[in-house]
Amino acid sequence: MQNRPLPSRLFCRNDAAMAQPALIKTFAAMLLSATCWLAAGSAFAQDAQPLKVLRTSFRVAETGFDCQRLSDVYSNDVCAQIFDTPLEYDYLARPSKLVPSLLREVPVPEQGGLVYTFRFKPGIYFAADEAFKGVKREIVAADLEYSIKRLVDPAMSSPNSWQVDDRIVGLDELAAKAKKDGKFDYQAKVAGLQLLDRYTLKITLKKPDFNFLYVFAMPTLTPLAHEVIEYYKDDITAHPVGSGPFKLVQWVRRSKIVLERNPEYREEKLDTTYANPNDEWDREVVKSIAGKKLPLLDRIEIYPIEAEQPRFLAFINGEHDLLPETPPSYAAQVMPNGKLSPTLAAQHVRAFVELQPELTYDSFNLDDPVVGGYDAQHVALRRAMAMGFNRGQEISIIRRNSAMAAQSPIAPGIVGYDPTFTAVDQDYAPARAKALLDTYGYVDRDGDGYREQPDGSPLSIEYKISSGGLSYLMLSQLWEKSMRAIGIRLNIVTVQFGDLIRDQKVGKFQLTGAAWIADYPDAQNFLQLFYGPNTGSSNNARFRLSAFDKLYEQAIAMPDSAERNALYREMNRYILAYVPWKLGVHRSYIHLMRPWVKGFKKHPMYHSRFKYLDIDAVAQQAGHQ
Amino acid sequence: MNLSTFVMRRLLHMIPTLLGVMLLIFVLFNWVGGDPAYILAGKISDPKQIENIRTQLGVNQPYWVQFWIFIKQVCTFDFGRSWATNELVSDVLLTRVVPTLTIMVPVLLLETILAVLFAVLVAYVRGTLTDRMVMLGCTVAMSISFLVYIIVCQWLFGFKLGWFPVQGWSDSFITNLVRYAPLPILLAVMVDLAPSLRLYRSFVLDEMNHDYVRTARAKGLSENTVMLKHVLRNAAIPILTNVGIALPGLFVGSFLLEVFFSIPGLGREVVESVNRSDFPVMKAITVYLAVLTMLTNLLVDVLYRWVDPRVAFK
Amino acid sequence: MSSVMGMPVARSSEGPWRLGWRRLRRDHVAMWSLAITLLFIFIMLASYTGLIARNWNAEVAASYAEPTFDKVTNTDIHSPIGIQRPEAGPPVDISDIDPLAPRYQEWRERTAKIQAVQAAQAVRLPLGADQWGHDVLAKTIKGSEISITVGIVAALLAVFVGTALGALAGYFGGWIDTLLEWLYNVLTSLPYILLILAVAAVFSRGFTTIIMILGLTGWTGIYRLIRAEYLKHTDRAYVRAAQALGASHASRMFRHILPNVSHVILVQFSQNVVGFIKAEVILSFLGLGVPVDMVSWGTILAETQEELVLGKWWQLVAAGGSMAILVTAISMLTDAMRDALDPKLQE
Repeated sequence: MQNRPLPSRLFCRNDAAMAQPALIKTFAAMLLSATCWLAAGSAFAQDAQPLKVLRTSFRVAETGFDCQRLSDVYSNDVCAQIFDTPLEYDYLARPSKLVPSLLREVPVPEQGGLVYTFRFKPGIYFAADEAFKGVKREIVAADLEYSIKRLVDPAMSSPNSWQVDDRIVGLDELAAKAKKDGKFDYQAKVAGLQLLDRYTLKITLKKPDFNFLYVFAMPTLTPLAHEVIEYYKDDITAHPVGSGPFKLVQWVRRSKIVLERNPEYREEKLDTTYANPNDEWDREVVKSIAGKKLPLLDRIEIYPIEAEQPRFLAFINGEHDLLPETPPSYAAQVMPNGKLSPTLAAQHVRAFVELQPELTYDSFNLDDPVVGGYDAQHVALRRAMAMGFNRGQEISIIRRNSAMAAQSPIAPGIVGYDPTFTAVDQDYAPARAKALLDTYGYVDRDGDGYREQPDGSPLSIEYKISSGGLSYLMLSQLWEKSMRAIGIRLNIVTVQFGDLIRDQKVGKFQLTGAAWIADYPDAQNFLQLFYGPNTGSSNNARFRLSAFDKLYEQAIAMPDSAERNALYREMNRYILAYVPWKLGVHRSYIHLMRPWVKGFKKHPMYHSRFKYLDIDAVAQQAGHQ
Repeated sequence: MNLSTFVMRRLLHMIPTLLGVMLLIFVLFNWVGGDPAYILAGKISDPKQIENIRTQLGVNQPYWVQFWIFIKQVCTFDFGRSWATNELVSDVLLTRVVPTLTIMVPVLLLETILAVLFAVLVAYVRGTLTDRMVMLGCTVAMSISFLVYIIVCQWLFGFKLGWFPVQGWSDSFITNLVRYAPLPILLAVMVDLAPSLRLYRSFVLDEMNHDYVRTARAKGLSENTVMLKHVLRNAAIPILTNVGIALPGLFVGSFLLEVFFSIPGLGREVVESVNRSDFPVMKAITVYLAVLTMLTNLLVDVLYRWVDPRVAFK
Repeated sequence: MSSVMGMPVARSSEGPWRLGWRRLRRDHVAMWSLAITLLFIFIMLASYTGLIARNWNAEVAASYAEPTFDKVTNTDIHSPIGIQRPEAGPPVDISDIDPLAPRYQEWRERTAKIQAVQAAQAVRLPLGADQWGHDVLAKTIKGSEISITVGIVAALLAVFVGTALGALAGYFGGWIDTLLEWLYNVLTSLPYILLILAVAAVFSRGFTTIIMILGLTGWTGIYRLIRAEYLKHTDRAYVRAAQALGASHASRMFRHILPNVSHVILVQFSQNVVGFIKAEVILSFLGLGVPVDMVSWGTILAETQEELVLGKWWQLVAAGGSMAILVTAISMLTDAMRDALDPKLQE
């Protein structure tokens, strides 16, 4: 909390009459000065602006703020407020549009997508930190080069290295050499990273890649000051130092994160180029914050609360100003029949409904002898299971109607998403499922209510979930019921979370549940989950279909175009035909805010964008009466 | 034997127990602890990366090497850094123990005082309808699951009536004590009071059955003096023993309370470290709690023998 | 027995059990508690054999239907389902690449022959329905089956392990006692929650797992008591007499001493049942409970977390209430049993 300066006694003089007895004199003097003090104090308090403090919550706890080393969404989110990235997504433009932040302009792909030239704006400085020993530290192109190298440093074991792995000429070789030597040589020159001058970095890729720039909107590839890394060493997760609009001032792990405005933040205002005058949220944003110097908030208090009831009640009780991602259990209470509840409407609470660029799904293991395989019989089993699953109940009961049935693995709002694409082959149709199983020989021969395999051997499929917590419990209940209804025995197997991740990666499962949220707004981020060579890294279904792989390789060499969309459509058709996944839903979330929170428009690629938010502090204080 | 020999012998006995605890947790983790490398490797990873992480964490070394490292860690009480958050494990323990104690110490104090008070009052009216109703009430209170208490009370007092904040914790000790701790403390006392009351009532009644009570009454002492000066003093011994047994539990707290009220305490940390397969934190908490348990048991035994001169050191 | 030398006939002395039972019978509260406990067990057996609550898993009503004494049917139509897609186009055709294409015709024909699902029956829902539309009363009855069984079997396991180890430690003493004391100290030094999670991790989620978890972590209490009892009894005259008569160790431990400590065991068993029924709730909350196709009071209560704020109180009342009644009954019965069997209170 900021300390207010003590009010000075400006307006009164101690004129107590000298003729009176000493004691009464002293007493009167004290009384008078006390009154002046109070008057001055209250006048001062009224003159001073109340602080703009935003209190909000995370539904999953953070881990730390070295965003190269950590990959969870919420840690990244805090980093995004502290670090500037070379590029960012425009706040108002939909679909998402990359605009320059630290760079002068968005680099244009040169030589058919092989070369990108990054030109930094001069005069942008890191926030002051003791690691700089009093020197004002400017951001230069070499900081980005350092940051890219650090990402592939074997000592980091970064889960984000895939962002540059096998892309930049000479970088992987340097990383391999570092593995052998046991130490990464940061001074060594990399052919694909050329410093043309103090503010310019030229990056040369091994293969053409038109989606390369997206990774530079993520806080993992932001320029880092090597002095800071070297100064804090292992403690670096608690000392993020960037040039962004906010600084980390307090961190009680998994309990409280406090950010405060960075007083040295550069001059920045809202860019209204892409504002849509027909969108009410755009209009409110422009009205509230256009023309003002960002950031507007003084202080942000973030409270990670993983249990649903306390997090929800904290907002309802007025302890928090913003509730991102209202727990789905309360969605029906907050917005019955799609309209804001009367109680909340009376309090002028606003609700932003967002269909997130993500989907849930259940993945088969295509290498498994029982459920895997590309022949008609096994495809029939998977197709029948997909059709037997009661997605209607999933949406209405588990997701409380805040979800949209996924028609393809590509999420809405993503470049390459086709809103007209409709798939019926994954819709709930138990009669068709039963008929299909009968057709391909999966019948119940021994009368126990469950079907056997065509060769007569028993059929039992395992659905693997994590043992910690109840998150997938209801879904697994629904799976078991749905499969029992079409005669398939499904066993729910729980394992430790770490083992589940491992089993999913190495292919030790038959069916398992998961979700994927977009890292960047291009369909490739979703389709790469089916690319054969990605088996073992991100292709957990172990889907290897050469027809699909050929289409994929063609598509990544093309920029966004009608031709590429046609390729995406073809790839989706293969996924529907061979059923590596049972497609789930795209979830929608309700973000609630009190009427004094201004400037809010949820961006699909960011969890929070605090630099654009404003608080009407007077209304906030009044609201607490 | 005298006091110092007794303490020395007990301290010596602690070593094989501690080794046993270390062995148990080491075996448990390596057998069923889950693989942390995959959690740390993130959404998109390859086998090369996994190997890298495992080398860094040191889980690639042979078991006896890892166990020897463990022994050294216990001797220096330095368990390194958390695998999940890279925080110093000693920091983890120190910061988490304060919120837990902020809740548990008041709970223990309040619950003991109230339980003793009510036990004495009920003993006054033993056998009457009041006594039986109170006992029935205790039994019913004990039959409701803790989980149900938490869900209902958080909803009722936090939400419906608004008397307390629904959840939360701050960095100021006073704020915590005054604003955030009361509801969890109230809940815990409500739940713990019933069994303690029943137990202490039986201690008091046991004492009252002894001959010296009859003698005291025959001597003409008032019931008040009999209860407070004689009975309570003697019943204090088993009561204190009971409190002493509860002491180690103070430090791990109640993870249910901590999860529901978002209190960053040690109980919640245990569950989370198991879920994240964060072995350094698990090791540290276990060793720390084992040592604490053994030391408090020793302390209680010493106090017990000091208070009751009839009992000799054995 | 005929009278000899004019002395009055002595009645055969009653064993402690008969004495205990007679005292128990005089305690009205204890008799009511016994009746309630037996009632629950009877319901549980009826449920187990399928006499009642057989169709607890059927979705008979709308999601979260309110408690009512009228008959209701499942009116949940599940539409409109979720967020609509206003720009949706015609369904995409995959027949040219579909491996199933050659047998489409056969598939269509079979589909047409599959009969439609029968219309749902009307049911009474005195306790409302849960989120899936299951009858909460049926669920609670079925849940009692699992909860009570878990409580009893786990308690049996804990009592068995604790008694066996306690007898060994108390009887033999020496290095066996030292070893078991060491084991006891090690296990009680670990935080209970850690022990639970560790045992749960060894076995996958399942019915036997819960019993294992509770039984293998809950034996320490009775171990302590039985050990103390055996320490007391081993040196008693009657045991020495048995030894003089040539009784083996096993015989002395189990034929002679055990009956004399059986009242302690019974009381402990009863307490353990209560404790484990309550602990099962916590385990279910942690996600370590019974498998998903079974229902127990613990799983019902774990679901109620979210429901109270939504104003759906019926599952909480049903499961919480049933558990409270049963646990209270067993507790009062235990108290009465302890008082009735306690030799110190012999009149």
